[in-house]
Amino acid sequence: MTALAHIGSTGAGAQTPGGPAPEPTKKGGITAYLLLLPGVLWLLVFFVAPMAQLAAVSLQSQFPGYPGYYYRDVNFGSYVTAMTEYLPQFGRSLLFAGSATLLAFVLAYPLAYAMAFKAGKWRGLMMICVIAPFFTSFILRTIAWRQILADEGPVVGALKWLHVMPSSGRITETGFAVVAGLTYNFLPFMVLPIYASLERADPKIIEAGGDLYANGLTTFRRVTLPMSMPGVLAGTLLTFIPAAGDYVNAELLGSDSTKMVGNVIESQFFKVLGGFPVAAALSFTLMAVILALVFVYVRRYGTEELL
Amino acid sequence: MGIFSKSSGAFRDAKGDLILENVTKSFATFTAVDDLSLTVPRGSFFALLGPSGCGKTTTLRMVAGLEQPTAGRIKIGSTDLTGSRPYERPVNTVFQSYALFPHLTVRDNVAFGPKRRGSADPVGEANTTLELVQLSHLADRKPTQLSGGQQQRVAVARALVNHPEVLLLDEPLGALDLKLRREMQVELKRIQMEVGLTFVHVTHDQEEAMTMADTVAVMNLGKIEQMGAPEVLYDLPRTKFVANFLGQSNMLHGTVQGIDGDFTVIGAGDHKVKVRTSRMAPGEGGEAIFGIRPEKTRVHDEAPSATLAGASLGPGTLLDVSFTGVATQYLVDVPGVGRWAVYEQNLDLDRISNKPGDQVWISWNPGHAFGVRS
Ligand SMILES: Nc1ncnc2c1ncn2[C@@H]1O[C@H](COP(=O)(O)OP(=O)(O)OP(=O)(O)O)[C@@H](O)[C@H]1O
Ligand SMILES: [Mg+2]
Repeated sequence: MTALAHIGSTGAGAQTPGGPAPEPTKKGGITAYLLLLPGVLWLLVFFVAPMAQLAAVSLQSQFPGYPGYYYRDVNFGSYVTAMTEYLPQFGRSLLFAGSATLLAFVLAYPLAYAMAFKAGKWRGLMMICVIAPFFTSFILRTIAWRQILADEGPVVGALKWLHVMPSSGRITETGFAVVAGLTYNFLPFMVLPIYASLERADPKIIEAGGDLYANGLTTFRRVTLPMSMPGVLAGTLLTFIPAAGDYVNAELLGSDSTKMVGNVIESQFFKVLGGFPVAAALSFTLMAVILALVFVYVRRYGTEELL
Repeated sequence: MGIFSKSSGAFRDAKGDLILENVTKSFATFTAVDDLSLTVPRGSFFALLGPSGCGKTTTLRMVAGLEQPTAGRIKIGSTDLTGSRPYERPVNTVFQSYALFPHLTVRDNVAFGPKRRGSADPVGEANTTLELVQLSHLADRKPTQLSGGQQQRVAVARALVNHPEVLLLDEPLGALDLKLRREMQVELKRIQMEVGLTFVHVTHDQEEAMTMADTVAVMNLGKIEQMGAPEVLYDLPRTKFVANFLGQSNMLHGTVQGIDGDFTVIGAGDHKVKVRTSRMAPGEGGEAIFGIRPEKTRVHDEAPSATLAGASLGPGTLLDVSFTGVATQYLVDVPGVGRWAVYEQNLDLDRISNKPGDQVWISWNPGHAFGVRS
């Protein structure tokens, strides 16, 4: 296209006011690099450098007898500690994040579907309702949930009154509350990509399913759902990855027995003297585990054309 | 599908002509299809032609079951399909935008229908049909990896593989370039003859409608203006809209002034022209419009003889002469009548002697004229 325009302009003598157009390939090359520059710089300063620093910290060794003092080393001891002592928290992180992702998907898909196909004039309002929580800090909202779900709060009171819950039962400080909090906090990240992919789907293609002898349910399974897979994939990743590393929900809604990796990292960094290398090693391990899971997941469900 | 298969079966086995009885479709206050009745004989190629927004797609969607009529009935043979779901009908659609499944390969797209119908060998059926549209070599690709013309053929194959009683084609050639369009027209016509299905083909393109169809229906404002074999429709339009929509017509708005033997005389000011009474659209006296196709007329540089009275006009001023190769087009302004076009075949090389501004007369064979009501 550019090459064609270039030939046309010189051939016809109809040049731009600024004179002959510069060589398209050369210009394209420089422009591309210039456009890349801010992003690359950003990544170098705010991603690569801290990662290198974190890696260095995770390999440090402690001065014997001087807690809190380290020297540069290549010591994998912190990784061993991370993997052995905090295995339960790792497992819990993946379990909680996985459950929250599944729950969020079950809640988000019908909502996104309704917004895309059934909402009509209410679509805008529904969209606002999905996004509105972002206008308040998510820590505040999580604290609010702690109040709502508290032992003396309305939810527990009602459930006990209905005898759905034993009189000694509680919601806060349970794994259930943490998963519910994670689900609640990351729900919009599931809804929006699914909605976007459904909204983009040509309704004619869904009608074609019906035209080709598939009833409503079959059309959904064979046509609508597969076509929204890019959104499902994006939504599950956007929910699972931050949820696996989250510590706010476990901190505010959970107890000691529901701690996740995020909580361990947080306390190793800020509360344990000499905990830096272990915290850094935990961070790296978590990242590696998530990357491996995501890789397998995307290979399994991602379709190259639709992604 | 299980729970539906019993009732679906009855609809799906429907065979016979496609019949629309007084079908009306209203959206809120707007009537898109207005009391439409037509019969498409089984195995024929039926073209629905009309301007944008006249209700063609809405009509097809009602036949497919994607839309339910506000009033009226849709039948295939003696089976009433009104109210049944799309997947219960022996009808398939080739959508204007193709609507291929983006996540499936070409083969799986085509096998989709047979699988849902519970065919014993869906993939085999798909392969056979892909062969018919000459796309076997692309069966493993995704639709996005195909050209527009190839996608169109996949869309045709995906519908055709089901051997529906009625195949609906909604401007399936609209996106193609002229050459590919002509090729696909021939291809579609060949397939239709080969498999003998009922085709209902919607198009904007009158030439496409006339070359392909056994019957053409011209639709306007939700109603069918006229329906018939293409040559009959072209030769004898029964409404002003059809006369102008299907090809071009020279017209003279006047009043019926009497009968002269086999002919009806229509006059406007000093001009008198005649139409065979049998070629007048039915209606009572009063106002009428005389019409003649441009290619049925000739230009002369002298007044025609008295024998051509009622089959000539003039004098007029020649406004424009354009040479198009096989033919020459003249544009003549006749005072009191308006601008008429004359297309003359260039059979005789030294014909083009007239220049814009010259005084000319127009004549024709009175048997070719037609009359419609205003
Ligand atoms: N769902 C709808 N709601 C309201 N009006 C509609 C709807 N569908 C179609 N219409 C109206 O009905 C009329 C007929 O539409 P239709 O799509 O049948 O036209 P068409 O003849 O296929 O036109 P085209 O040649 O442009 O495709 C149009 O005026 C359109 O605006
Ligand atoms: Mg249409």
